[in-house]
Amino acid sequence: MMTEFPMLETERLILRGPQPSDAEAFMAFYRTDRSQYTGGPMTDRQAWNFFGTEIGHWAIRGFGMFIVTRKGSDDPLGIVGHWYPHGWPEKEVGWVLFDAASEGQGIAREAAEACIAHAWTVLKWDTIVSYIHPENAASIALAERLGATLDREALQPKPETPGLVYRHPRASA
Amino acid sequence: MSTQIPKLETNRLSLRGPEPKDYPDFKATFTSYRARYMGGPLNAYEAWMLYAAEIGHWQIRGYGMWMIHDKTSDETYGMAGAWKPAAWPEAEIAWVIWPDKAGHGYALEATHAVRDYLYAQKGWETAVSYIDPKNLDSIRLAERLGAVKDHDAATIDGNDAVYRHPAPADLKGSQLAHGIEMEISHYADPLFKPKGWAID
Repeated sequence: MMTEFPMLETERLILRGPQPSDAEAFMAFYRTDRSQYTGGPMTDRQAWNFFGTEIGHWAIRGFGMFIVTRKGSDDPLGIVGHWYPHGWPEKEVGWVLFDAASEGQGIAREAAEACIAHAWTVLKWDTIVSYIHPENAASIALAERLGATLDREALQPKPETPGLVYRHPRASA
Repeated sequence: MSTQIPKLETNRLSLRGPEPKDYPDFKATFTSYRARYMGGPLNAYEAWMLYAAEIGHWQIRGYGMWMIHDKTSDETYGMAGAWKPAAWPEAEIAWVIWPDKAGHGYALEATHAVRDYLYAQKGWETAVSYIDPKNLDSIRLAERLGAVKDHDAATIDGNDAVYRHPAPADLKGSQLAHGIEMEISHYADPLFKPKGWAID
């Protein structure tokens, strides 16, 4: 079994497949309260398995989450991409920046825009949503900057803890 | 970056990397009571996330859990291999057999093969298995493999017993190794097939 990771390039960023060396940054993020809206905080044991899941998702689905790096540096800044685990009602584009220092520069936006375009044009998705915690103001703001709108009718991935479903508009040709 | 997962062959079994199409068999076991000593039973979402993590483990560590297939029918019987997520004090040799496939010596045959591979091909000098003290079938299998309880070794979280496998030098060509191979061959031979209580 081979997993092939495509690479996406934007003006400032390279989005590549997750590598073993990224596990530490991933676990470090999940140790902090920054992860509270994306399933954390969690123990290293949980986060390491979750990182393995990120890689396995690629093998099972043929797409997955990219590690975001700046051109010229391989340091992992965050994880952005395509997410469709078991039970998700729709395919999602999601984003996480590991460190607060990476915020405010449009990095998540630039990466998410590339992934949304990839979802429409290469993966040929019919719909794209982002599932967002109701208190995650930064992510809500980004979803809205990306042109997504709140869909109150959409099915929830975890009905026992409902969140916000932002629906991305199909790019007009 | 990609790990090529080696294929291992034994008398009756073919061991290959976990593939997406094998997931339903994994899910059936890990959402069942059979998984009670392996962190389960899991719900469907958790089982899927763990299966993906099994695949990811190979990429991160360069080793992991093989899917055990029947060499002829390709049917899956369980998993066996090497496992070292974060917080594991040492790399372990682990196994799981689907509940309706127990009692045929498949876990013994598969685990004996992966241990040989890890020793001979990956250079492992030692290996442990972390086992729930109530999981008597697994403890029995560890003992048939020659592992003994290591009271001094660090546990994962205090709720597990550590069984240490014989070192490569103590296993190679030993009476123990011959005994394991004889037990495996008996499972495959109708004349010697064990009768009575099913064990892994």
